[in-house]
Amino acid sequence: MSNWKLVNKVFLYDGTFEGFLSLVFYCFTLKTLPQKIYPIEKYYTNFLETTIAIETDYNKSKRVFDGIYNNISFDTLYNSFYAFLSDQKDKELNILKYLCDGFELGPKINSMLTVPYVFSVLSMKKRACSECHKLKGLVRFMEISNNIYYSSIHPDNNIIEPLGQHFIKRIPNQNFIIHDKNRNLCFLYNCSINQNNHSPYQNNGAVYQNNAVAYRNNDTSYQNNGPAYQIIDGSNFKLPKLSDKEKYYKLLWKVFFETIAIKERKNPRCQMQFMPKKYWDDLIEM
Amino acid sequence: MEILEKLKILADSAKYDASCSSSGSNRKNTKNGIGNANNSGICHTWGADGRCISLLKILFTNSCMYDCKYCINRSSNTVPRATFTPREVADLTINFYKRNYIEGLFLSSAVIKSPDYTMEKLLQTVNILRNEYNFNGYIHCKTIPGCSPELIDKLGLLVDRLSINIELPSNNSLKLLAPQKEKNGILKPMEYVSKNIMQNSQIKSKHKKLFVPAGQTTQLIIGATPETDLKILKLSEGLYTKLKLKRVYYSAYISINNDKNLPTLKAPPLLRENRLYQADWLLRFYGFTSDQLLDVSHPNFNTLLDPKCDWAIRHLDKFPVEINKADYYTLLRVPGIGVISAKRIILARRNFSLKFENLKKLGVVLKRAQYFITCQGKYYDKIYKFTPNFIERNLLYDERKTLIEQKFEQLSIFDNLLPAKEDKVKCLTGNL
Repeated sequence: MSNWKLVNKVFLYDGTFEGFLSLVFYCFTLKTLPQKIYPIEKYYTNFLETTIAIETDYNKSKRVFDGIYNNISFDTLYNSFYAFLSDQKDKELNILKYLCDGFELGPKINSMLTVPYVFSVLSMKKRACSECHKLKGLVRFMEISNNIYYSSIHPDNNIIEPLGQHFIKRIPNQNFIIHDKNRNLCFLYNCSINQNNHSPYQNNGAVYQNNAVAYRNNDTSYQNNGPAYQIIDGSNFKLPKLSDKEKYYKLLWKVFFETIAIKERKNPRCQMQFMPKKYWDDLIEM
Repeated sequence: MEILEKLKILADSAKYDASCSSSGSNRKNTKNGIGNANNSGICHTWGADGRCISLLKILFTNSCMYDCKYCINRSSNTVPRATFTPREVADLTINFYKRNYIEGLFLSSAVIKSPDYTMEKLLQTVNILRNEYNFNGYIHCKTIPGCSPELIDKLGLLVDRLSINIELPSNNSLKLLAPQKEKNGILKPMEYVSKNIMQNSQIKSKHKKLFVPAGQTTQLIIGATPETDLKILKLSEGLYTKLKLKRVYYSAYISINNDKNLPTLKAPPLLRENRLYQADWLLRFYGFTSDQLLDVSHPNFNTLLDPKCDWAIRHLDKFPVEINKADYYTLLRVPGIGVISAKRIILARRNFSLKFENLKKLGVVLKRAQYFITCQGKYYDKIYKFTPNFIERNLLYDERKTLIEQKFEQLSIFDNLLPAKEDKVKCLTGNL
């Protein structure tokens, strides 16, 4: 990165991971580092800054994607993807620097923990991954009509896609919706499409596990048949009235939850440490 | 009886079992199946006691033919009794699982009619789940002491984890408090299962049927009988090395029954339980042995310091450790440096020689570690004396300061020393 030019500009991209990879491509061809990077919709025009909007080009982003995998390592790809999902403000610039160095140094980059942006990428990845893991347990589905299950979540990081993929593997014969209320995104999964077209969910080698990007880039069957899941804007979603059966299961769960705790060992601080209050809204039992 | 009521009674009877982990198995989903297991385990919620709830933990029945003194379900107690049918348990599990309330089922049972009869009921339940509902989630099942080996064989092929609770850590205590149970009735099936797991792991075929892929666990009750920590830790060590157990759980005794042979405790000995868990971790992941942590002259853990700090202060000749040179296991012995920190240090020092400010950036917590390490040959700023007294006083003072700041109390030399804040809040039971 030593011979790179630092330009006093703000780069804008469309907010998707592909868009970001196109931006990485752009920076590489010109060997420039921007002052700041923003998704277009989050940027407020400011007369002190000149901006360049970078167009998303799927061919370019695929080249960067493959390049990271082939020339650096799968871990680097994985780290950048999850760091990108995190809610940190300066994530893009840190990931960009991390990738630049990565292309220069190879897989060694992942062990350079004392470099600030490497550590920041790794900690962003950790934040996103651990929240994703936590929510794998804390999502509560309810059946809103025959074999359609709904769940709402309020995550800090944008982890709806890996989260949804976890549930596709787990409950492949249920249609489900996961609603990220903080971003108003809905993850819709349609099991009838999945049954006709099995390939996207048998892992493409161990490599692309959990990585949505793979489906967009590598899997041709996916492009022909359409995805079994999609992520759409969920602001118009209205929750139908719950059936009695559903209410009964909620009651059963609540009763189980309350009885299983040992009164003599009550420890609300410990409970809160593991299950912060920000998640309580979506839980039946709290 | 209605399901709701049965659930209430049988969950209430099952709650004293500490284990609730869903880790260690990597079972894949099948076509048209529901569920899979996650190797690291997934916690679904945390109860008011801070213990994680990942499995539907219930008894099949709580009408028991035994009369173990410490147990809430003993036959001489007048508690409401209930019995599920296999179908009811299976339906409940599937419906909870579909809604992602749980990671699987933890089915235990009191002994009804005979060990074999009880075991058959458990087997029926698991069979419905696995073969009729194509359920591939996690199933943890209890082995009933004294049941026949054929039943264990059948059950082992269906479940992920089996466990038998030893409960009382010595033969004498067992005779005193559970006269109808025998030591061999408990240990024999354990040995049998561990032998079968070993045999199964040696089969290399891709299509082999898994036998108890997540291994065995057991539980010991702490504080009901006079055993020392040393004795308990020795027992666990034996179970880990000889029987290859995955976990030994410790359960602080809670006075539920009145009996002349039972102690009456005001509160469960939670701190002692926590110390044992800390030591248990040291045995399994840190390369310690029970003899290093405790000995005959010093058979119980220090209540104020955690076992690792305590060990380190008694073995100051092994310190300070140079962060840039020490190997992995030496780093692990430093108080305050755990598996994650040690790995990070090893990874990071390949590229740069580390200083104290680098350590902080790596996320290594120096609160305890600062007294025991050097970076590039230098001590941490604050450390001007390398003697056991100085270190112990400082460690305890730091702990006390935080506690006292919280309670807004005046510092006084005459206060009773209190254990660390983390020890009070922490509750390791069943999370991993």
